[in-house]
Amino acid sequence: MDSISVDVGQLKKGEVNLGTSIMAVKFKDGVILGADSRTTTGSYIANRVTDKLTQIHDKIWCCRSGSAADTQAVADMVKYHLELYKSNNGRPPTTKIAASLFQEMCYANKEMLTAGIICAGYDEKTGGEVYSIPLGGSLHKHNYTIAGSGSAFIYGYCKKNFKQNMTKDETVSFVKTSLSQAIRWDGSSGGVIRMVVLTKEGIERLIFYPHEYIDA
Amino acid sequence: METLKNLWTSIGTGYDLSNSIFSPDGRNFQVEYASKAVENAGTSVGIRCKDGIVLATEKIITSKLLAPGKNKRIQTIDRHVGVVYSGLIPDGRHFVNRGRDEAKSFKSLYKEPIGVPGLIDRLGYYVQAYTCYNSVRPFGINAIIGGVDDDGAHLYMVEPSGTYWGYYGTATGKGRQTAKSELEKLDLPNITAKDAVKEAARIIYLAHEDNKDKDFELEVTWVSKSETGGVHEFVPHDLLQEAIKYAEEEGEEGESSDDEMQD
Amino acid sequence: MNHDPFQWGKPLDSVYGPYNAKIAHATNKRTTNIKDVSDFPTMHTQQPMITGTSVISVRYQDGVVLAADNMGAYGSLMKLDDVERIVKVGKDTIVGISGDISDMQHLHRILDDLVVEDRYDMESDHLKANHVHEYLTRVLYNRRTKMDPLWNACIVAGFDEQGEVFLKYVDLLGVTYTSPALATGFGAHLAIPLLRKKADTDEDVKNLTKEDAVQLVKDCMKVLFYRDARSLDKYTLCVVEKSTKQIEIQKDVKCEDMKWGFAKDISGYGLPQL
Repeated sequence: MDSISVDVGQLKKGEVNLGTSIMAVKFKDGVILGADSRTTTGSYIANRVTDKLTQIHDKIWCCRSGSAADTQAVADMVKYHLELYKSNNGRPPTTKIAASLFQEMCYANKEMLTAGIICAGYDEKTGGEVYSIPLGGSLHKHNYTIAGSGSAFIYGYCKKNFKQNMTKDETVSFVKTSLSQAIRWDGSSGGVIRMVVLTKEGIERLIFYPHEYIDA
Repeated sequence: METLKNLWTSIGTGYDLSNSIFSPDGRNFQVEYASKAVENAGTSVGIRCKDGIVLATEKIITSKLLAPGKNKRIQTIDRHVGVVYSGLIPDGRHFVNRGRDEAKSFKSLYKEPIGVPGLIDRLGYYVQAYTCYNSVRPFGINAIIGGVDDDGAHLYMVEPSGTYWGYYGTATGKGRQTAKSELEKLDLPNITAKDAVKEAARIIYLAHEDNKDKDFELEVTWVSKSETGGVHEFVPHDLLQEAIKYAEEEGEEGESSDDEMQD
Repeated sequence: MNHDPFQWGKPLDSVYGPYNAKIAHATNKRTTNIKDVSDFPTMHTQQPMITGTSVISVRYQDGVVLAADNMGAYGSLMKLDDVERIVKVGKDTIVGISGDISDMQHLHRILDDLVVEDRYDMESDHLKANHVHEYLTRVLYNRRTKMDPLWNACIVAGFDEQGEVFLKYVDLLGVTYTSPALATGFGAHLAIPLLRKKADTDEDVKNLTKEDAVQLVKDCMKVLFYRDARSLDKYTLCVVEKSTKQIEIQKDVKCEDMKWGFAKDISGYGLPQL
């Protein structure tokens, strides 16, 4: 191994990973995205206050899991495309279009990417919408979805406790409890719980510190 | 009339030979000549009705050997968008192919059908490019493009210059003046798709008076949320026959009332 | 061929010996002892991620019955329970797709483009089941030749130009075949023997009624749910019917009449036990 021939495989292995707990939930008035704040390289916490909720258009946001570098690059490209879409077509892009763009990027480059993305947004016509783009680059529409390494521990909890047409407060508490359990059982998830609430009223950010969610 | 005289006086001055050169009074003669190709062609009509659009054309039959009902003139760009044009047919075919490519490229990226205004934007841009280079000539067509998308029904007409406007109803070709004045009499935004088909047929028959020496065949298509589920299709055979019957009856009434006036 | 989705496209070592990376001067650091797909030379699609399991189908006297469940599994995680794996292509064709779901969605999109092109002239539908099957075969074979296969196995059913019933298989290698009973994935192991009991020959097919064929397929879906660890008891069932020229699609069909009661008579694993 010399400086000229770099072993890409090894480089990939040393990458910063979002071993994560993320979710997005549709409710009566819109949609809520939630995430933990831990970023790890192996078992070292590279950042304990990460913001994994990324704005890609006014009221279209995404949660990223997998390689931090890959998902940031993809999110940046989708953001660019959505801006272009708005100026070309004279109307804001829908959540479905944003999710389709994620799908296209993740599918066309599947050999090179480690990216699991949740895309959620609100628009007046369709209300809140939640899409997931898991590893192979397929696209799925949901009422709620969970992803990242921590999600494996809360499939059962979420399935049993999700209800259609919840209020905002019910939804916030559902997300908080779900993520607190994911954080409790997953070593790669931790820190604070961040949320973004997208409704007709606008964009609201919420943050919950460990002492607040630990008994949630 | 004034423009026609100007046109004649400018011929042979050299400014009408190329696309890429303006005349001293700021005109592109090649584009104006292209419009001439349209002015003598069969009439085409587009109507934007309550929940859709109707396209109709007066297909001039140039030979008795042509099979009736074949050689369709109205074309589809995507499921939800139709085109009818008057002018040079091969130019129109090329224009439609470009439209299909644009619709496909949009769908391959965004995974949903292209919006009609977005499509027109791309096509207008394409047509305009053919007025800028001396290696090409402008499109010899006026194309009427209509479709239904999430925002409802849209109807546009693109001219050889690349100009396009949105319409409730529009017409092009030899009988355009007659057709346009008839369209103005209708309550277009509120007319049902079925009535729009009948009116389009009547207008094409009426406009044919301007082209009386030639045989023609009526072709009508529509896109409507309620009637076709947002898909561009030929109108069903029965409805077309009903529309033709209506057109012929109205035509006769028109003639007899003219006679009365003369009396 | 090995029908385990995670082993698809890999020649069996027991039959062909280990892969020889020297073929076609393929360079690879480890030319011996190749154990998994990632050790192959240039190969783009490494493995399927989210997968759909079996598609099963059988001919009967007046058409075809075809079924596929709604599971989208991520390894052993039963991630999605609402994946629709039977797609209608134009008026006369249905395609059941198993294997990678992202590639399945890609096939949906290119088949939809095909339908749009077919409808350009707004005349009657020209696109028949045999055309769709041939097109899929070319696409799948082309991709396997680029060492970038679409990780799917498909069953195409419907009508051909003569209005005859069509049923044929095609997979990620571009291999195709037909038979009165066809199945992909686990179904090739578990359902085919059951289907062949009732529809082994063309003669059997002539005697198989629609009711019996539907019941047969429902029974097979039940057995698959019993024995395929990546299956779901909710599925889509389609009937292609020649006499009515219709393709009937029933969604959200549930496995019925399952028998679990005998479990109470079983205790321990050998010696008698309380």
